[in-house]
Amino acid sequence: MSELELRPVRTRILTDKDNIVDMIAKYAKEDVGPDDVVSVAESVVAITQGRITRPEDMKICFLARILCRFVPQEGSLSSVYGMQSAMDAEGQWRVLFAMIIGMLAKVIGKNGVFYQLAGTQAALVDDVTGTMPPFDKCLVYGPHDPNGVAEAIKQRLGCYGAAVADVNDLKRAAVLGVSEGLDPKELARILIDNPFGNASQRTPIVIIKNYAKLEQKGQGGSLSAQ
Amino acid sequence: MEFLMIVVSIVVVVAVAVWLFIARQGDAEFEFKVEERTKFIVEELTEKTATFSCKVPFMNKGSQGGTIMDAYPRHLLPCEQYDGVEVSSRMELTTAPRTDNYFEAVIFTKGTGGTVVITVKFTAKNGDIKEALGQMHELCVDMPIDIVYQIVARTPWYIHKTRMIMTCGEIMSAIQAKSVAE
Repeated sequence: MSELELRPVRTRILTDKDNIVDMIAKYAKEDVGPDDVVSVAESVVAITQGRITRPEDMKICFLARILCRFVPQEGSLSSVYGMQSAMDAEGQWRVLFAMIIGMLAKVIGKNGVFYQLAGTQAALVDDVTGTMPPFDKCLVYGPHDPNGVAEAIKQRLGCYGAAVADVNDLKRAAVLGVSEGLDPKELARILIDNPFGNASQRTPIVIIKNYAKLEQKGQGGSLSAQ
Repeated sequence: MEFLMIVVSIVVVVAVAVWLFIARQGDAEFEFKVEERTKFIVEELTEKTATFSCKVPFMNKGSQGGTIMDAYPRHLLPCEQYDGVEVSSRMELTTAPRTDNYFEAVIFTKGTGGTVVITVKFTAKNGDIKEALGQMHELCVDMPIDIVYQIVARTPWYIHKTRMIMTCGEIMSAIQAKSVAE
């Protein structure tokens, strides 16, 4: 009987000179079958899209200097550059509005409102140290059009589906983009143990083997990694 | 007019409150404790080269977490002062050893720190390193090494330098210690 299997694929360091679909085809195509789902780490997709910037190249506004002070230190937006990058991506007035409402919501015990209102990039920006060298000295934005990327991967590899995922070792997984027909929440559950590993393992691609077979057998609601 | 005064008063109160909050919050503050560094020891000695290393502790003594984005040693031995050796140096964390002189950006929460290893390699221009370093000692040439580090935290990035001195006496002592050990 086929079992769900998570198969990480090692690559060289991918840069903004690479096309993510070409690279997945180069490194993973031979292992990918028609029943498989190909998932790729969102930060690597963003890097190949050139969605990175150096702190040294950024202009910091007064508002970013103030607002970053109100973000707990664990968050990427707690640094002045993380905050500025969120403002550059989503607009400084939107971020200010989200911060004010988020603070008021926190007073009444509701957390997470800031990130709901500030826009997707505010939640996706990785501050410096967020990725491996040579991008450890850069801020990395969230990827552009993750659904489109996932669809392009599926078309190119002829697999069952593809996904762009944001997963870390803290048991947090979010699937940002999927090809048509896939359930992002189900995929997030499958990827929750971070099969991408840490950055130095250089495995930004994970093939979810036999996904379609198990889904067709009616196990779609309870797929779990073996 | 009264309404305007109320608005201005509120703005002033909010601005002062934010300023006080930021002032009380503080920021990261890194210190490389060169006065607590270990003595240089000889790592490798060949006919042409001598490689030394020492360890320097550092700490984020500020009130906020901060990131060391980059750090490297800058040795200063101008040929006007002594022209008998070529020098190269590198720095790495003891917890993340590497030999490429690349410093991977790393976060340190307040009150935490670590240790860096500074490695200095001398290559004799005349082919005999013991003789070259001996001349350096005769001329009383000490070599400053700046630990240069780039910090980013709540405030915009900045570069700071902390200077340590690799004395010619320390170099000779390390070579003698190596000879005795062998």
